[in-house]
Amino acid sequence: MNWKKPEGIGLFLLVLFLGMAFMPSIFTSYEPQEYFTPYGEPSSEHLLGTNKMGSDIVTELVYGARISLLVGFASAVLSTFIGILIGLFAGYFRGGVDEILMGFTDVVLIIPKIPLIIVLAAFLKPGVWLLILVLGVLSWESLARVVRSRALQLRETGFVLSARCMGFGPLHIMVSDIFPNLIYIVIPKFMLSTASAMLSEASLSFLGLADPGMDSWGSMIADAFNNGGFIREMWWWYLPPGLCITLCILAVVSISFAFEDEEPRLNLD
Amino acid sequence: MIPAKKIVRYFLSFFAVITLNFVLPRAMPGDPVMNLIGEDVYVSETTLAEIRSDLGLDRPFFEQYLNYLWDLIHFDLGHSYHLHREVSEILFSRMEWTLLFVGLSVILGAFIALILGALAGWDSNSKMSRVLSCVAIWVSCTPPYFLAILFLYFFAFKLGLFPFRGFYDTLTVGSVAHHLFLPITVMTLFTASRDFLVMRGSVYQEKQNLYVLYAKAKGLYGKSILFKHVLQNASLPLITLVALDFGFLFSGALFIEIIFSLNGMGQLIYNAIMARDYPILQGALLLIAVSVVLVNLAADILYSLIDPRVRSKQ
Repeated sequence: MNWKKPEGIGLFLLVLFLGMAFMPSIFTSYEPQEYFTPYGEPSSEHLLGTNKMGSDIVTELVYGARISLLVGFASAVLSTFIGILIGLFAGYFRGGVDEILMGFTDVVLIIPKIPLIIVLAAFLKPGVWLLILVLGVLSWESLARVVRSRALQLRETGFVLSARCMGFGPLHIMVSDIFPNLIYIVIPKFMLSTASAMLSEASLSFLGLADPGMDSWGSMIADAFNNGGFIREMWWWYLPPGLCITLCILAVVSISFAFEDEEPRLNLD
Repeated sequence: MIPAKKIVRYFLSFFAVITLNFVLPRAMPGDPVMNLIGEDVYVSETTLAEIRSDLGLDRPFFEQYLNYLWDLIHFDLGHSYHLHREVSEILFSRMEWTLLFVGLSVILGAFIALILGALAGWDSNSKMSRVLSCVAIWVSCTPPYFLAILFLYFFAFKLGLFPFRGFYDTLTVGSVAHHLFLPITVMTLFTASRDFLVMRGSVYQEKQNLYVLYAKAKGLYGKSILFKHVLQNASLPLITLVALDFGFLFSGALFIEIIFSLNGMGQLIYNAIMARDYPILQGALLLIAVSVVLVNLAADILYSLIDPRVRSKQ
């Protein structure tokens, strides 16, 4: 671990956003369904004014953290699980299993994700869980590759060989000997895949393809953009959600840097 | 030149998209005909019956599938009942502008990233390297449409330097360039940031190799080692990244188009989502999948031209 200043700030921001998601009442005294005078300018009651419907923008921002973080972390859990499973099996068994699993990985890698999700979300009823499922199922490829190459190295190490000599089965070896050694490559990848899922969520909710019942940061920007918030120069309407998206994603990404002792590398896909 | 295994995999990816396009409207609840032509459209009973018999929805699944493939081979992507035109016709007319816009930005972004990333990776402790990395990370963490909104607000709205919307006023090179300047700048910034971080890491790793030390021992100067020896080897991951990233970049471009009201594929997809015009959405997915596969093929060819190790394997 290698904690420096940017990572520290990132951790602080992430804790702040998590606080917004779990305990919104600390940050705002209004409910998202409370309506006031529409198109209000910033004032002492409404620090960032109100939107077209008259909702308090600060309240919307606070509640928006929930969706962004939920979609990000939940789909990352799913994709990390699939990635570890496929990578471990391919790397440990090598040969035909490896060929098939990595071939499958390459096939999934090429499919353009956002257009695919657009089509899926248009056909199915858009919702947070659909988004999590699709993002999770479609973004495990890079983790699977890294896990595989690490598993290929680990299977030749002394402790794995001795475990095999002692008669432990492949499943036991994968779970208790190889998996614990993968943690340091899995955690940063997990944070990066959380970040990229959050970025995709922001894009899709901008198109109105996330949950229509829940306001997220992306849909707030779309709302402001489509309802004249932009032409009227109501920066307090569209600027804060954009900043929240960027800061929240940066916070998540910076934590992955704490696990890398080399150069920072970023590959959101 | 390209291993057969790769071609098979590309083909399978493309096949997966085609199959999904076939299965989705038929497997969804509700009337498959309505799923195929899109909701919220008014068509007469006779047209509905015509479509039904045309699609052969009562015939076995496999036969329908073969029929579907046969249509695809003939570039028949169906009919948009919202826009009253053939889907393929609409897509091809919109594609040109989007390709111009995406193609220019991807190439420009990769080129900028190649040079700046190489310099930043070579001298990774310099101030320039740190500042550029921060900017690149920041941009990569921002949704492209938000970046586009900021640029539009600042340069078109506040400073009035550029027009707000559209590809041109009159179809001249000057007008097109003036209109496309901001969108291309945003898109280039977006692609360059992603490429920059990879290029920087790649040069950083490459410079640990012994041949670099040898070149130094021979008395070559730093920058000439970088540009004559290291750059070529370090650019290989960049080529793979640009190709694999193409689908993602393309999607980013769609959002930028929406913000700048450019009448390309992005606007088309956006309107199709709003109107539930499924044939357009499916056609667009197919077209994007084709272009991603083609770009990856092109990258493989380029890769084998640059890296003699790949060439000599065959």
